[in-house]
Amino acid sequence: MLKKNQIRKIILNIFPVISIGLLITVWVLFSNAHPNLLATPRMVFDRAIRMFEHPIGGMNIFGHIWVSMKRIFIALGIALVLGILLGLIMAVSRFGKATLGTIYNLIKPIPPLAWVPMITVWFGIGELSKIILVTRGGLNPITDNTYTGVRITDKNLIDVGRVARASNSQLFRLIILPASLPSIIAGFKNALTNCFMVVLAAEMMGAQAGLGFLITRGIMAVDPPIILVGMITIGIVGALLSAFASYVERITCPWIRRIN
Amino acid sequence: MEKATVQSSNVDLINQKKKKQFNYTLVSIITLILFFVVWQLIVQYEIVSSRILASPIDIARAFIEKLTKEGPDGATLQENVWASMKIAMTGYFFGCITGVPIGLLMGWYKPVDRFVRPVFDLIRPIPPVGWIPISLLLLGFGFRAKVLIIFFGTFVPCIINSQTGVLLTPQSLIDVAKTFGAKDFEIFRKVGIPYALPLVFTGLRIALASSWGALVAAEMLAANAGLGNMIVMGRQFVRTDLIILGMVVIGFIGIILVSIFDQIEKFFLKGRI
Repeated sequence: MLKKNQIRKIILNIFPVISIGLLITVWVLFSNAHPNLLATPRMVFDRAIRMFEHPIGGMNIFGHIWVSMKRIFIALGIALVLGILLGLIMAVSRFGKATLGTIYNLIKPIPPLAWVPMITVWFGIGELSKIILVTRGGLNPITDNTYTGVRITDKNLIDVGRVARASNSQLFRLIILPASLPSIIAGFKNALTNCFMVVLAAEMMGAQAGLGFLITRGIMAVDPPIILVGMITIGIVGALLSAFASYVERITCPWIRRIN
Repeated sequence: MEKATVQSSNVDLINQKKKKQFNYTLVSIITLILFFVVWQLIVQYEIVSSRILASPIDIARAFIEKLTKEGPDGATLQENVWASMKIAMTGYFFGCITGVPIGLLMGWYKPVDRFVRPVFDLIRPIPPVGWIPISLLLLGFGFRAKVLIIFFGTFVPCIINSQTGVLLTPQSLIDVAKTFGAKDFEIFRKVGIPYALPLVFTGLRIALASSWGALVAAEMLAANAGLGNMIVMGRQFVRTDLIILGMVVIGFIGIILVSIFDQIEKFFLKGRI
């Protein structure tokens, strides 16, 4: 019996190694056969290092990461303030929902990226346009989740507050807000992903710096190593952002139970 | 005497409630009308130049015009819509067909999870937009490259939600099936998968929104037809009415897709929580 279990455990642990190994093998084989299409791992590594000596667009890889991150976090901050306000107003005031909510529902279905041409006509192609676009990207999840979070507050909790003769503002501060916090944070996590997506797209469409710009540069200059450097960096940064968002969730809402 | 007053005060309450509901709908409608009227006026009276903002009437005119004319971007409105839909639906279809089964299997069979997980964790953080360069490099500037981008955008949420759905199957249900002597695969088919269905549908819905958004991005960056392209062309020819028309149509189709999806979901999930 024991032996069977041991063998099973060994196989399970080898599988991840096998699949990553397969992936890398395919990469190496394909890129060596078509170096003009896909850069080999060696080329990618060399290029990344070379960027420290020969910066692209005036910056090395970390400079570009920082530029993209700056845009994301500024926009995220604005989206948080606007979104939470909007969501709260819509959830708490029926009049607010009928007025602001109607206008919000008009704007909501239009994907953030569809706004790019309009925003560039209004604000040009500078930093402001990008921040506005990324903020628009983060607005939807935060507003919707704040609204839902307040609406689904357990009525029992509110009743307890009423029994204890809490004032409206106390009800709001001490019961409704904490109860809707998990939902708001979930919205924050989604918004982070969305903002990342929009920042990359916005940078691809017209920027002088940032990860999206790096990729566009690679395409324009037909420079596969840069493209892959950009993509791998995007993957790593994306994973780090997810981890960061989960971390924020754990700190602000320690009482949530997670699945995995 | 008492009965009559109680009854009439009940009727009063109901009438009051009806009036309140009616009042709020009225407010929404008035807000909508005000919004469009103000918009029309500020463009008409040149408070905002008509070069940077098109009025609602201009957009309506552009809509009608676009139904027949091929305009600056080389295709009528219907042709653009059809081109966009073709790509989005193809990518969505392939993403779901691969994503959902893989996700379900990953949730039930640990070996599958161990094998697919590492590669998936590498793919997951890259947003659909990030796949554009690779798609363009490998497949050129055509239909297949765009479908590939949509595919990645659909594939990821499908896998995540399907896997979570299966993982959440309560052990008690599985145990009941075991006491009836069902074999592992049968339990998977008859207990795990049905239990995961609601989450699978949520994943499909997220994937739908994601694919429609990714489509817009893909078309703006690398296309010669479709709604995204129409918007970009609108900017190039300084036709703000086309830009806004494109945005409105994109949003409108998004709403329609979601409604259709909700109906399909209701049909499949009849009677479930």
